[in-house]
Amino acid sequence: MTHLLSIVFCVMAFAFLAVSMDRHQMTVFGRALRAGQSRGFRIAGWCGLALALRFIVGNEGWALGLVAYSGCTSLAAGLVYGGLIAYERFSTA
Amino acid sequence: MSTIVRHGPLASRIVAAIFGGYALAALASVAALALPMSKPQAVLTGMLASFIVYACAVIWVFAVRSARRAWTGLVIVAVPLLLAASSVWAGGRIS
Amino acid sequence: MKRARDPEPKARGIRQSMSDLHTWAGLLAGWILYAMFLTGTVSYFKDETSQWMRPEQPHQRDMPDAARVAQRVTATLGTIAAGSSQWSFDLPDERTSVIGSFWRTPGAAAGKRTFESASFDPVTGQRTSARETLGGEFFYRFHFQFFYMPVLWGRWLAGLCAMFMLVAIVSGVITHKKIFADFFTFRWGKGQRSWLDAHNALSVFGLPFHAMITYTGLVTLMTMYMPWGAQTAFRTPAEREAMTSQLSAFIQPGKPSGQKAGLAPVDAMVREAQARWGRDKVGRVTITNPGDTTARVAVSRGEASRVSMSPQYMLFDGVTGKLIDVKDSVGGAAETRGVLYALHLGRFSDLQLRWLYFIVSLAGTAMVGTGLVMWTVKRRQKLPDPARPHLGFWLVERLNIASIAGLSVAMTSFLWANRLLPLGVAARDNAEINVFFAVWGATLLHAFVRPAKRAWIESLWLATALLAFLPVLNALTTDRPLWRSIEQGDWVFAGFDLMMWAFAALHAALALRVARHRPCVKPAGKRAGARATMPEREKESA
Repeated sequence: MTHLLSIVFCVMAFAFLAVSMDRHQMTVFGRALRAGQSRGFRIAGWCGLALALRFIVGNEGWALGLVAYSGCTSLAAGLVYGGLIAYERFSTA
Repeated sequence: MSTIVRHGPLASRIVAAIFGGYALAALASVAALALPMSKPQAVLTGMLASFIVYACAVIWVFAVRSARRAWTGLVIVAVPLLLAASSVWAGGRIS
Repeated sequence: MKRARDPEPKARGIRQSMSDLHTWAGLLAGWILYAMFLTGTVSYFKDETSQWMRPEQPHQRDMPDAARVAQRVTATLGTIAAGSSQWSFDLPDERTSVIGSFWRTPGAAAGKRTFESASFDPVTGQRTSARETLGGEFFYRFHFQFFYMPVLWGRWLAGLCAMFMLVAIVSGVITHKKIFADFFTFRWGKGQRSWLDAHNALSVFGLPFHAMITYTGLVTLMTMYMPWGAQTAFRTPAEREAMTSQLSAFIQPGKPSGQKAGLAPVDAMVREAQARWGRDKVGRVTITNPGDTTARVAVSRGEASRVSMSPQYMLFDGVTGKLIDVKDSVGGAAETRGVLYALHLGRFSDLQLRWLYFIVSLAGTAMVGTGLVMWTVKRRQKLPDPARPHLGFWLVERLNIASIAGLSVAMTSFLWANRLLPLGVAARDNAEINVFFAVWGATLLHAFVRPAKRAWIESLWLATALLAFLPVLNALTTDRPLWRSIEQGDWVFAGFDLMMWAFAALHAALALRVARHRPCVKPAGKRAGARATMPEREKESA
């Protein structure tokens, strides 16, 4: 259960990071957001990743925790990436 | 002849990277024995560090502007390592 | 005249030189690295693979009692390996259906250290009656020492390729300076740029993993790759033993006294270890000089219970059964090496973490594969005549087909051989392996004689068919078809069959993509003559 929760959390964090970039704002919203909004998303994204680290390491200790965190972030980044690609393809199709 | 002249520097770099890099890494692993820790731990530390040294040496060889600079860099780094290693060889018999 | 002197090459930016280094390092080692990555990836589930490859071993719902298994196996070893100076066997765990064991060949001359091995049934303690096979261990061993060559050569080759990989990673990161800005970029359907984006994505997401796995891979065999410090520092056997005791629980048998003495009950020793570490957390038993007064028994802690491979064991007197020594710590550098080794093997993982390892490792495999294919995609555009590429390009393209698509065909054929080879065949385990290599060789020949695109498509569809029909073959040749496995809750067998279908779907998708692919041909303005005939030629070679 905790693994699932961690992955969901990291996916959210990476989604925020992605949306803080101009290129992807164009895709998702059709326009660039204000600088303040972009910054907000970026901060939220990094904070999310930091919180996930705290959560996972707190649960599993440093050794297992760092490994689990590394795997979790790799997978989450991949999922957000895949999601963006899919979104792009299906919205222009 | 011009082919050799053209590819000479590249061949030199490849030799420096593959063999020079390994030599430097091996030297570093021996120099680690001069570290202030028990022999088994020093030996293991040297091994762990050696691959990093090897990778850095290879990157250096291909990042710099000429084959000459590549070799020079390797030699410059080798000198302190050689000093440390030779102190180990010299004093090593006693341990 | 300037030409007479050693020509100073034009100053190239570091990104350009690192890009060239990355390409060359990746290309030269790429085919072997792909094989290492793929076999390494599947090795995370090697125990499950071994289970599937021994269908005669029944599905065990509850784990057998480790202490009782230890006693039974010890008794068996007493009959089949009597006179050996060293026995070693695993204790049961959830993922394995047999007990792996090896021992020094009895009566072997002092200088020659040969070992024999066997798999035992945990319930009876006797040799397993399941079919003779190496199981998942084949892919695992191939991963770091290949086959058909002396083990040391294989390991050196693997280490060399691992260094190439390490250099490729560092140079790749230096080249990709916009690593964060480009993080989520993907340009779909843009030919070479799409391949680059795919390669970048797979590389960047898994970067912590790829860097870790490469470096720790070198660490696992570091005493072989960098023996110089040890050779300089340790002169006496005692010093050397002090060093190896930091690395492994494999205690050396001392000189036997020659006086016979019965071996104390091993189950009691295992129970003591269970009391210390936990019921399911005892990993292995090693007995030296059994039947002699100098017998010793080392019971090691299970690898699944901690993130380190550094030795932790309890040492018992083999005759009295008394605890002599407990080794539960090593020095700082040794523990660091233990952790790094454990990170590579990932044996501490629970099921979810193991899946994460598997997925990210698979991404790493795809990273190497996309890199290799990208090389040909880029170069194809620069070919003056795509129908007659120069030897280098031709070779790279054909090797790509055999080492990527061909490897999938070969690995699946290994599993087919496991089901199809008659049970009584002599050296059956080697026969399965020979099938693997024979098929792989055949895919290489196929790649040489067919046009490249056809070869890709045919190999991928063959892999698809072999993967898709494997569960069917399993249902036909064993009494453990998919529906029964699901019924019994045997998720190892069921999961394996289902994964074969998942991989089949993946290969089918790849085959369809290749079939639909139209190579991006640069306008013939860049190429001399033959403008009108160019499109015809493209279709022919397609």
